[in-house]
Amino acid sequence: MGEFKVHRVRFFDYMPSAIRSMAFNSHTERLAVARADGAVEIFNFADNYFQEKQVIAGRDGRSIEALCWVGCRLFSAGLDGEITEYDLENLRPRYSIEAYGGPIWTISGNSEGTLLAQAGCEDGTVKMFEVLEDRIQFQRNLSRQKRIISLSWHPSGAQIAAGMMDMIRIFDSETHATHRLLVDRGVGASKSREVVVWSVACLNDHTIISGDSAGKVQIWDGLTGTLIRTHLVTKWDVLVLAVSQWQDESSVIAGTSEGTIVQFQFISSTVGQQDKLWVRTRTFKNHSHDVRALVHTDSAVISGMDTQLVVRPLLDKVEKNTQESALRKIAFPHRNLVSCAKKAGLLLFQFPDHLELWRLGESDRNTPGESLPVKRKPEKLIQLKTKLQGEDHICCSALSPCGSWLSYATVAAVRLYRLQISSNNISIQKVSKLPRELKSVHQLCFSSDSCRLFASSSFSSVVVVALDQTDCKYLHTLKHKSSRQPIHILSPSEDGQWLATANTDCEIHVFNLRKMKLHCSVPAYSSCPTAVSIHPTTGNLVSVHADQQIFEFSLKQKEYSEWSRQLQRQGLHPLWLQRDTPVTSIAFNPNNPAHIMLHDVFMFCIIDQSLPLPEAKTKFYNQMILRSLPEPQRLRESHAFKTCKNFQHLLSVNLLEDLSLVVVERPLVDIVAQLPAPVRQKKFAT
Amino acid sequence: MMSLPWDPTERDNMANKQRGEGTSVEKKAENKKGADDFNLALDSSDDEAPEEVTFEDSKARAVESLKLALDTARREKELLKEKRRKRQEFFQEQKKKKLLSADLLEEIDSVPSKKQKQAEDKDEEEEKRKTKKPTGVRNLKGSYTVSTVTDRGQSDYQRQAAEDFIQSRLYGPGSCRSSNNEMLSLQNKTRADKSAAVQFVKKDWACKEKAKAEKLKKRWIHKQQIPTS
Repeated sequence: MGEFKVHRVRFFDYMPSAIRSMAFNSHTERLAVARADGAVEIFNFADNYFQEKQVIAGRDGRSIEALCWVGCRLFSAGLDGEITEYDLENLRPRYSIEAYGGPIWTISGNSEGTLLAQAGCEDGTVKMFEVLEDRIQFQRNLSRQKRIISLSWHPSGAQIAAGMMDMIRIFDSETHATHRLLVDRGVGASKSREVVVWSVACLNDHTIISGDSAGKVQIWDGLTGTLIRTHLVTKWDVLVLAVSQWQDESSVIAGTSEGTIVQFQFISSTVGQQDKLWVRTRTFKNHSHDVRALVHTDSAVISGMDTQLVVRPLLDKVEKNTQESALRKIAFPHRNLVSCAKKAGLLLFQFPDHLELWRLGESDRNTPGESLPVKRKPEKLIQLKTKLQGEDHICCSALSPCGSWLSYATVAAVRLYRLQISSNNISIQKVSKLPRELKSVHQLCFSSDSCRLFASSSFSSVVVVALDQTDCKYLHTLKHKSSRQPIHILSPSEDGQWLATANTDCEIHVFNLRKMKLHCSVPAYSSCPTAVSIHPTTGNLVSVHADQQIFEFSLKQKEYSEWSRQLQRQGLHPLWLQRDTPVTSIAFNPNNPAHIMLHDVFMFCIIDQSLPLPEAKTKFYNQMILRSLPEPQRLRESHAFKTCKNFQHLLSVNLLEDLSLVVVERPLVDIVAQLPAPVRQKKFAT
Repeated sequence: MMSLPWDPTERDNMANKQRGEGTSVEKKAENKKGADDFNLALDSSDDEAPEEVTFEDSKARAVESLKLALDTARREKELLKEKRRKRQEFFQEQKKKKLLSADLLEEIDSVPSKKQKQAEDKDEEEEKRKTKKPTGVRNLKGSYTVSTVTDRGQSDYQRQAAEDFIQSRLYGPGSCRSSNNEMLSLQNKTRADKSAAVQFVKKDWACKEKAKAEKLKKRWIHKQQIPTS
């Protein structure tokens, strides 16, 4: 096991954006998450909560307020007054139509999937849109009211409840409003402010539940228009409600500005009796900032201003202390935002609206186990902003290994730059004429000799472009016949012969770059690959999947390698399988071909293929123990997985050409420090 | 009139009014003076019979008072009018002083009309060109700039208003918000291994406050040194 000089990088100011809205599709088990900067992410709940897709369609001034699934189609609406449908196979907005009602506060679809209702702000009308095969069409307006903040369809589609300022209105399928439910204002100082009904939910038995800015959750009878019960939950606002789609709608959760979630259940106060009431049962606090989006499946999915997604099982029917009952926090993206130029020692950081190129610092001492003094500090060489204010956000970027080419792509365009970096002079030149085939790109990658650029484009194809001194030429488009889903991983081999691609349909294809055609496909596995890489010397393809399985596939023999079969027979250690963050990159050590280096957010691991695999009973994290043992015993006790947890909240780990490691960390405290203000909570003795 | 055993109230005085006496002064007199005066006054009027006031008299008096009122109103209106007239004249004079002399105005007058004419001509030419455009493309001469409409005006304003609404409801006055520093510092204080407030723990936080503190410290040291030096 070698020792590495580690560049510990903490100057990447990665700042995720607040989560504004979520929608769960129970048929496909996908969760769509909309962020405040307009990005939409899709998480696959069935596949270990892996973040499958990201549609970076954001731009300054476009913020998403609401998301809605209609069948398998995803719609969003925002304050700019447009309803957008997304093309999830090509990761871009399919179209957007203007609703002509001012900013849109909420959209929701009826249970048949035929109508989509949305509420406008300036007008106060509820507009009904008909969902057709390839578009949506305006049908009619319901009668005009004041500003409408929230909507809920009755499961039968016959009624709509709308939450407004100081009241709730119930419309039936024709346009006239039937009931008006007046909501009380808060007590004391808040009596002078109007109460905003932030969220309403309609249940099957015509019960309406509302959460408002005075901190109350109220339960109304929708048929008679009367208030049944009021629960004062918090001093601040109740921002969002979610009704369980399982269990006969007998559980409702409410999210507040304090970051707490309160659960209400429809149960009888004494067991065995028939009279059921809505009773407040549990309270959870997993967030430090406001909760603005909530989804209730058999577990609660909570997210909000603190940009983290928390999946919390509601422990009614799940056993405690198992894998399923664990709380999950998804705080970092499941993809790489850092590119490293291995030969030049440069790092490229991707932000939504600009890119930063840094040169790493240097140190001349070499004492093991110590933090070395920095002789030359890391410096920011270039900050590249996307051209105009209000342009689309950057969805992917890449830096060539020699550090002389830089490329990034937005939803609309691809840009390529030539860099010349000497010790005291930096110059950057834009390559103006790019081939027409380079458009709607969602992943970029340079070959190891920096002569080719690979771009994953629409319809699951890869565009290969040759790079010259100053310009680039289109070479070929690689495509597999039956692939439809977008390719999210591109990995060329060191010698330039192979290109491995993986798409979100869990397919891995390997193309021969000399002949420009498909070489082979790895046998399909049920889980989506999160990192794929080709070994430089043995030519084996190593892939790590969302369920933490590791496979090694030999490209020459077109079958799994012996080591991989042994790993599958023995099975991976349970502690490895219980990790909840995916491995996002794989690297190899040129000095030691038996080593595979992986990392996820909380650990960095080197797998030594020459050592025996750990059994289920052996201690997995055994590095500290091994250090205390004498030399001969050490060899007997050690197993293949060597993990290091010194560096936390890793965004990226790369191995440079001079065999030093670059570790990019982003401590969570630094992210929390830049969030908007939390509520003021007075605690005793502080 | 009978002597009243109690102090005369308003109703009694009203009775006096109806009889047409100039009771206001007497009323006051009656109210202010002591019991003796009261008796005296009563005595004086006690012997005599009440005065006879004819209907015409009182009518005449009423008409007079009306006329007086009308006159005063009219006079006031006229006074106001005068004031306004004077002010208006004053302003006009001021304006005249500010304006340029008539000669200069004539000169300037001729130039803008020329410019206007030119602009009109250009407009006509543009229109002609516009109408001709479908048949062939021509280069536009002159100093024109073409720019795309980038600002979306109305919708941006509405979006901004909506965002301001949310911002004011969640973070505006009355929302009781604290800061991230406070929240994290409380966490530092209440956990098992207590540490200081985050502003002090983290090196790059609160740079301005730290710089200010440094300056104050230096100033204080300087002050301490001056008397001794």
